Amino acid sequence: MTSLLEPAQSDRSAPLAEALDEVRRSAQSLLADLGDRPRALRIRAGDVVVEMEWTEQQRAAPAAVVAPAEAKPAEETPAGSDIRAPIVGTFYRAQEPGGTPFVSEGDQVQRGQQVGIVEAMKLMIPVEAEADGRIVAALAADGAPVEFGEPLFSIEPSAG
Amino acid sequence: MFHTVLIANRGEIALRVARTCRELGLRVAAIYSTEDRDSAVVRFADQAVCVGPGPARHSYLYLPAIMEAARQTGADAVHPGYGFLSEQADFAEACEAAGLTFVGPPAGVIDQLGDKSTARAAMAGAGLPLLPGTIEPVADAEAVAKVAADIGYPVIVKAVAGGGGRGMQVVNDPDVLPRQYREIRCTAQSLFGDDRVYVERYLPAARHVEVQVLCDQHGNGLHLGQRDCSVQRRRQKIIEESPAPGLPPDVVEQMGSAAVRGLLAAGYVGAGTVEFLVDDQQRFYFMEVNCRIQVEHPVTELTHGIDLVREQLRIAAGERIAATQEELAARGCAIECRINAEDPARDFMPTPGTLTRLSFPGGPFVRVDTAAVAGGRISAAYDPLLAKIAVWAPDRPQAIARMRRALSELAVEGPGVSTNRDFLMTALDHPLFVAGTHDTSLVDRLTDSQPREER
Repeated sequence: MTSLLEPAQSDRSAPLAEALDEVRRSAQSLLADLGDRPRALRIRAGDVVVEMEWTEQQRAAPAAVVAPAEAKPAEETPAGSDIRAPIVGTFYRAQEPGGTPFVSEGDQVQRGQQVGIVEAMKLMIPVEAEADGRIVAALAADGAPVEFGEPLFSIEPSAG
Repeated sequence: MFHTVLIANRGEIALRVARTCRELGLRVAAIYSTEDRDSAVVRFADQAVCVGPGPARHSYLYLPAIMEAARQTGADAVHPGYGFLSEQADFAEACEAAGLTFVGPPAGVIDQLGDKSTARAAMAGAGLPLLPGTIEPVADAEAVAKVAADIGYPVIVKAVAGGGGRGMQVVNDPDVLPRQYREIRCTAQSLFGDDRVYVERYLPAARHVEVQVLCDQHGNGLHLGQRDCSVQRRRQKIIEESPAPGLPPDVVEQMGSAAVRGLLAAGYVGAGTVEFLVDDQQRFYFMEVNCRIQVEHPVTELTHGIDLVREQLRIAAGERIAATQEELAARGCAIECRINAEDPARDFMPTPGTLTRLSFPGGPFVRVDTAAVAGGRISAAYDPLLAKIAVWAPDRPQAIARMRRALSELAVEGPGVSTNRDFLMTALDHPLFVAGTHDTSLVDRLTDSQPREER
């Protein structure tokens, strides 16, 4: 943890972290003011330069709600764009083994529509889309063990 | 022995169990809620599975999720720690049904001893002394008034399913008994889903002394001395020590053998604790059985040189207790203080928050059990236990001095966070504690208020 750092390193890293924080906040407020996403954004504050670019596809989606400032582990994806496992268990993409998947990539889904099953203790718990949108990617394989909150599908919410 | 142990708990006890598993060469599987994503046991474990969101009823108390975690991790044994599902017979049963070894007594024993009514009946049957009162739950307000009149006031009305200091009420006055009887039944219903209550005589000036017992699957049992846990706030222990100061050797011996006799009669397996009240005449009365490892187990480990979690795992794996009662010898005195993130000045209200500074004591014969780290957070979703500090010394005065020194080294800071450290210091300094003649009323004396039952 931080206590292991040499004082000199701490001294260097603290202003850097602050500057990055400042840049992030500026970027968030800029993006919020713009409404539509730009193709690219470059912010410079002292020694710190941050550049961001968006693909056309990402630009079509509405700008993500500004994420809370809290730091999260790197592997976490934004909660808004995933359908996540409601319980730890075994994930199934179809009603029965070998059956047609509930949804496939590219499918349009509606809020409340069943997109999979998580089996826990022989209970079949339906996984439902939390918003209207399009399935961009299936992230967990049929029959895979999943944890609570693990992303199962990434979904691109419908505009409006 | 097992291959993989799933630890169905969080916080310091999860880490403590994990450490012994590692020493035994067992694979450690941890569970965590989204609140505990970065916890010490998650980092320590060989594998960790997220079982649900912050609220315990959706994660640490959610049986299907924990059984799934056990399956996914390939665990062959489950250690429940204390609290949460540790004394739920359903959990032990589900483990047995899934072919997992539950590190604790059989489901039927948990059922029998968790219900205070059947536990009292079983212990009375094994010849343990009980306080005057009812063994069967009392049916109505009329019956409770009659029983109370027979045994004499003050009485205590306790939920059959109660525990952890919740679901009990002291009554001094016959006039308020019917109202308080109804209240405690309502409370018991909402807390435990079981509104049965029983009544017994209340001892205002009693000591809380418990006996640590180990029983194996082959009918062998022994006890590892007593712990005095008389320093309590809101009926929850904050200072525990072993041995119990000033208990005559014959009382120690009688309590120990009574505890072993009671648990063997109940078919107990594993580590268990029999709690007694000891009155000012050094008479002891059975109170309850705790079917789990207890928070305060380190003081027994320090005086006996025995790793109780290791013994739990060995017993669960079917091994025999190797030692005999005669071979066990306690050495010196051990004291434990529970450091809680709470504010004694505001009736011990929890003070969760981020720990900006955290520094624990060290030095000779000091043991710190904690899962807290600087920069980490005491979550409002769980109990406010921040650390347990335990010390050992050859005698009680040295142990008290060592604990004072250890507490003085503790530094905890964070916005909105306070601890009970200074309060613990005051308790250690109290002449009654120093003399070892204190009882469960000590904290009320210190908070300079009326005893709680008068409120």
